[in-house]
Amino acid sequence: MATIRDMMPAFELFQPATVEDAVALLAEHGREAWALAGGLDSMDWFKDRIKRPRVVIDLGGIPDLTGIQERGEGLDIGAMTSLSAVAADERVRSRFQLLADAASQVATPQIRNQGTLGGNVSQDTRCWYYRSGWPCYRAGGNTCYASAPQAMNREHCILGASRCVAVNPSDTAPALVALDATMDVRNRRGTRTVAAEDYFVGPAIDITRMTALKPGDLLTSIRVPADWAGARFYFEKVRDRGSWDFALVTVAAAFRTAGGRIDQARVVVNGVAAYPVRLHDVERLVTGAPASEETAQAAGDLAVQGARPLKYNGYKLALMRNLVRRAVRSAA
Amino acid sequence: MAEKLIGTDIAPPDLVAKITGRARYAEDFRADGMAFAKLLLSPMPHARVRRIDAERALSMPGVLGILTADDVPQRDAPAEQCLTNEPVYEGEPILAVAAVDEATAAEAVERIRVDLEPLPFVLDPLESLRPGGADAHVQGNVIVDREWKSLKWTAEEFASAEAAGRLPMGEPTSEWSHGDVDAAFAAADLIVEETIVHQSVTHHPMEPRSNMAFWQNGKLHIFASTQSTARTRAALASALELDLEDIVFVAEYCGGGFGSKISGSTVMQIPALLSRKIGRPVMHRVTRYEENYFGRARPGFQGWVKMGFRADGRMTALDLYLVEEGGAYGSGDFGTAGAVAHLTYTPENVRVRAVSVFTNTPPKAAQRGPGGAQIISMLEPIVDKGARQLGVDRLAIRSLNAPGSDVRFGPRLMGLTSVHAREALELGARTFGWDEKRMLSGRRNGTKVTGVGIGLSPYTAGSRGYDGLMVVRPDGKLHVHQGIGNLGTHSIADTARPAAELLGLSWDQVEIHWGDTSLGVPRSSNQAGSQTTHAHTRANHAAAEDAKRKIQEVAARTLGGAPGDYVLDGGRVFRRGSRGSGMSFADVARRAIELGGHFDGHELPDDIHAETVTAASKVAGQGLVGVAKDNYGGDGAGVYSWVVGFAVVELDTETGVVEVVDYTGATDCGTVIHPRSLGAQVLGGSIQGMGMAMTQRWVFDPKWGVPFAKRLYTARPPGMLDVPLNAQWAAVGIPDPTTPVGAKGIGEPPVGAGAAAITCAVADALGGRCLCRTPLTPDIILTELEGLRKPYSPTATHIG
Amino acid sequence: MEVLRRAANPWGQEVLIGIGWDLVWLAVVASAAFVVGHMVWVRLRGGFTHEASEPGPGSSGLPERVERHSFAARAFHWVMSAAMLVLLVTAFVPVLGLQFPWVTLHWVAGLALLATVLWHIVHSIGWQDLGSMWVSARDVREGFAELRQSLDPKAPPAPRAGKYPFDHKLYHHVVVVVSFGAIATGLLMMLRIDTPFWDRNTYLLSDAAWGWTYLVHGLSGVSLIGLVAGHIYFAIRPEKRWITWSMVRGWIDREHYLAHHDPERWNVGVDAGARRGAGAIADAVARAPDQDA
Ligand SMILES: Cc1cc2nc3c(=O)[nH]c(=O)nc-3n(C[C@H](O)[C@H](O)[C@H](O)COP(=O)(O)OP(=O)(O)OC[C@H]3O[C@@H](n4cnc5c(N)ncnc54)[C@H](O)[C@@H]3O)c2cc1C
Repeated sequence: MATIRDMMPAFELFQPATVEDAVALLAEHGREAWALAGGLDSMDWFKDRIKRPRVVIDLGGIPDLTGIQERGEGLDIGAMTSLSAVAADERVRSRFQLLADAASQVATPQIRNQGTLGGNVSQDTRCWYYRSGWPCYRAGGNTCYASAPQAMNREHCILGASRCVAVNPSDTAPALVALDATMDVRNRRGTRTVAAEDYFVGPAIDITRMTALKPGDLLTSIRVPADWAGARFYFEKVRDRGSWDFALVTVAAAFRTAGGRIDQARVVVNGVAAYPVRLHDVERLVTGAPASEETAQAAGDLAVQGARPLKYNGYKLALMRNLVRRAVRSAA
Repeated sequence: MAEKLIGTDIAPPDLVAKITGRARYAEDFRADGMAFAKLLLSPMPHARVRRIDAERALSMPGVLGILTADDVPQRDAPAEQCLTNEPVYEGEPILAVAAVDEATAAEAVERIRVDLEPLPFVLDPLESLRPGGADAHVQGNVIVDREWKSLKWTAEEFASAEAAGRLPMGEPTSEWSHGDVDAAFAAADLIVEETIVHQSVTHHPMEPRSNMAFWQNGKLHIFASTQSTARTRAALASALELDLEDIVFVAEYCGGGFGSKISGSTVMQIPALLSRKIGRPVMHRVTRYEENYFGRARPGFQGWVKMGFRADGRMTALDLYLVEEGGAYGSGDFGTAGAVAHLTYTPENVRVRAVSVFTNTPPKAAQRGPGGAQIISMLEPIVDKGARQLGVDRLAIRSLNAPGSDVRFGPRLMGLTSVHAREALELGARTFGWDEKRMLSGRRNGTKVTGVGIGLSPYTAGSRGYDGLMVVRPDGKLHVHQGIGNLGTHSIADTARPAAELLGLSWDQVEIHWGDTSLGVPRSSNQAGSQTTHAHTRANHAAAEDAKRKIQEVAARTLGGAPGDYVLDGGRVFRRGSRGSGMSFADVARRAIELGGHFDGHELPDDIHAETVTAASKVAGQGLVGVAKDNYGGDGAGVYSWVVGFAVVELDTETGVVEVVDYTGATDCGTVIHPRSLGAQVLGGSIQGMGMAMTQRWVFDPKWGVPFAKRLYTARPPGMLDVPLNAQWAAVGIPDPTTPVGAKGIGEPPVGAGAAAITCAVADALGGRCLCRTPLTPDIILTELEGLRKPYSPTATHIG
Repeated sequence: MEVLRRAANPWGQEVLIGIGWDLVWLAVVASAAFVVGHMVWVRLRGGFTHEASEPGPGSSGLPERVERHSFAARAFHWVMSAAMLVLLVTAFVPVLGLQFPWVTLHWVAGLALLATVLWHIVHSIGWQDLGSMWVSARDVREGFAELRQSLDPKAPPAPRAGKYPFDHKLYHHVVVVVSFGAIATGLLMMLRIDTPFWDRNTYLLSDAAWGWTYLVHGLSGVSLIGLVAGHIYFAIRPEKRWITWSMVRGWIDREHYLAHHDPERWNVGVDAGARRGAGAIADAVARAPDQDA
């Protein structure tokens, strides 16, 4: 069969107006169904004819999935809320600037207007081998092309490789992990709440999926608890160009400090593994430590312990180390 | 008084259509019964088609036909066929299917089985030159004297070079020199030597090379995406072996080409041939994915350079060796690269050796400043290295080495019409504030280090001898017929300004006709080599002089007196001093039609091109016809424009991210015709160069021989946030004395300037360390800053 | 049902990439069906009342407990079983839907299996009676007689086996072949993942060779589901439990010995005549009196 790209094949389109209908449709069509949010990841797959769902369920017409609700100091963000809405929301900005920063660094204004928070955290990896439609592990095959000795892998992982070496491309994901957010996932059997840290799944556990979502699951909302409201935040994304570009490495951090000491910390890095990596060891190290250059240096060094670069991504080690240092420095 | 048209900002006539979306690009045209074509591309970088089984496709409802390599004009490599049975790069079109809609055509393509025999392939020219290395074509890897040859260097040549971390340099296929480089190096006060790598990058114009075609009464009607109009028709006629007049060629707008659509594209033949085969109009909308493959790319260089300097900074010797990645169908950028290097530094002793090797990477083509942009962006930081070691100011070393108008350069020691490189350097330095800004070099602000760079870039900017054609119609307006293309540069309008000015018209009295050969278009230049402004201000000037003469003659015949008594202004012709009397141009046009003969185009000059003759006969009788060949002369001297770029960058030493915080481009391109458009060219071209140096990347998997970055976003051309918003431009504005309007072209020289200003500024920020390779992305820079072991060899390319 | 998984490689050539995961389900379902079927059949048949043939002469000098498996042999068996179970669980449970990080566990267990197997080979060549595992024509006849007897309760009682009955030997040999396939291909496949020993190289073999490697590994694995399931099932069946216990304790009692084994061929008596080498029998003899004490 010859390969042809950039031409979307036909599918059956459903446009439910309620969450219940969406869940029912997802359940009914199981593996053959695809939930469509902003479409920025979805359409790529469709156009390339690599993922060919028989049924597409457009979530765009479900009002209940859009909007930001207050829950005490915390916020419930509907999965279909656009990234620009998240970035611009006054409550997000005043309490969780980290998330606003992350959302506003995604791609371009057009993409942020169209892309949703739910889609952003659920998007698939951008590994160029996988995206080329090659039969790699992630595509159900038995090979990782990106880790072959001569492979091109500057954009691949340095941590958590397990056969597959792809990275998570989302900018908002590390911010949400740092904020201890949770995801509400609904399916026919009910709603379950998944901690953001567990929402993202590495290849060791599931090599074909990036998230805990299974066929039939609908991500309904992302809850950001009050815990970190108004904390000190640091977000930095390093990419090849200033816009319209996925991160090489991203750091998202939250600190509570008092008298020059770090009382509480969350440090999360993305672009280095198939999931946003929460640096528990670094958090332990900096908690109770002065927000000093020494602490920053030590945190950076600790962050990359155990990292294992591929041929072309050794620089990510240095980049991750430096970004973690910068994050810790920012707490001073 | 009529407006002053030269040197003012006038919106081009197609602006509103473009902004409102009413402009029709190739894929916007429709015809009754139009079918759609889809291509089957080679999945392998080199293969032979053994068998095509299209049974399952052709039996699908809605599928109208198939076109294979056997149906298209046969060519011997390195000439390229629009469909092939021996693909030499991944993505080369093997066949096309027509169907009632694209979805059906795509599904049909999917159902076709092509049995391919994989053949040895090679991506890196050096690998092909290695003993035992693969050849990109079964016939060989280089062409010498029009003959295919399998060129291999010795293992020893590779071993010694690799041990020294330098480019291997075996037998070249091209070599020229002046003076005695060895003696000059022996006498030099300073020698610098580097191995350089310039990546090959795709063009990726916004509009893919889509085309639509149908046949009517034996004539091919084709709607194409191309940089040129008249010349593309000619190219298509020769490709399809048709009479020029049997093609009605329409190309009103072009969403960019940058050298990749000079005379259209090879795939342009497909809808024409498929339409003839199935008897229906065929639209072929090229996708971004396909554009990555057959949308052309700038050839890459792996090179080595050695420069000898006198203590004062004067370059006394230049020795350059270039290995060019020629791609699937070859390329010759190295020729211009050598000449431009010689021109920019004018060393008395120069040697340029090169070999252009065929590779199984997508085909190369000119890309805005071909050869020149690459070499300038690579050599400028090495000149800086010399300046640094000699303690010479970087602006001064460029002024010292830059040529004047008396220069002779290149293998044949060509002369130029005018050179004001030093003036451009001075003007640029003033506009940019070099004296203050150079002090920023090395300044540290937190983790950021400032770097400052200058890039001086010349490029060809003119040609001669084309024809102009225009009609003063009874509506009183001047109708200028343009055979040039409309590739977004405003040339269709701006090259008509001298004609209008000469005839004393204001701009609203001018109509431009372009983009459709049935309107009658004169013999024109290609929209390439930055020649259009020069070539067609001349051609239109010549035709306007002809029209003016005729208008004066008509007036004299009608109102009495001698033609020389009459002057033209505001759409009227009148006796000098008596503005109130005379004739309107509308009357002149009517009178010219009455008079006939040469007045209304029924008699034509002998020296115009046959194409212009046909075009003029189309307009004959419409009014007073001005038609002439550009006979202003000057043949033998080259036309070059110059741009000097000045940049300030901030390099973050912890992330390797480079931010361009300030940029100025100053140009010597003769008379300024359209300031705003010129600024767009100077800065736009510079930005293209910045992208080439910093953000763009084309990675290939060496095992499978296939590229990544198949999308616009993965090819990473620079975006709004990658460029300084306060960028400035300036023009020297000294008219070229050899051309009546004084204007030279500008499209290409900015690219090298923008790129070199960045490569120099980054090297400056790194304390003078030249990485001598592109792109300068965070990974490459951080690897250097952190002293990490480089995962690539000094000559490696297409990596990432 | 998907038997083989194929994919188009980056050049669009069709390549084999392994067995279809449906085969895993097939193996699970088939194993379950066999177990259930067998249980039903046994019930219908009315259970097993083993009509042992008359104990032969010479039983008098027999110890109460007859050693069947040395400690070393038992240790091997259980370590190997553990490795095998880990391998099967890590291989197939994720395929069946329960996800966990399995790769490292899998290859470590594979190496453990390999180590036990190597040890077993050395041990059995050096210290055990290889001949006792040899399948002779007589074993085959006995095996058939046993089968006939189990199918038809009225059939004449099957002759007693030597140390290892035919079905045990056959099972062992099948497992040997299948495991060898799994281990050999598994070792090759380890070259495709990073381990502390080397960096992976996906391209060490051609697509086709990898395809076959995965196919053999997959087929061996799926076969092992059935083999292990059957083995466990019989091990816990009441009428076979005495054998299972012997794999725990090391010995069988005199009654079972006399009932199921032919002392001629598995001579454990003190008055044993010819001793065939310094193998298991010698061990059994040497230690049996202590155990009795
Ligand atoms: C050129 C380009 C550049 C980009 N750059 C960046 C970047 O720099 N940083 C960044 O973070 N992102 C980037 N993106 C990603 C983009 O921002 C989107 O966020 C992302 O592609 C998915 O969001 P979407 O709303 O378009 O979802 P879709 O593409 O429609 O969906 C993505 C996936 O999530 C699933 N999904 C979506 N919503 C739900 C739900 N509610 N329940 C269950 N499943 C769901 C879909 O089934 C699909 O598998 C880029 C995208 C493009 C095309």
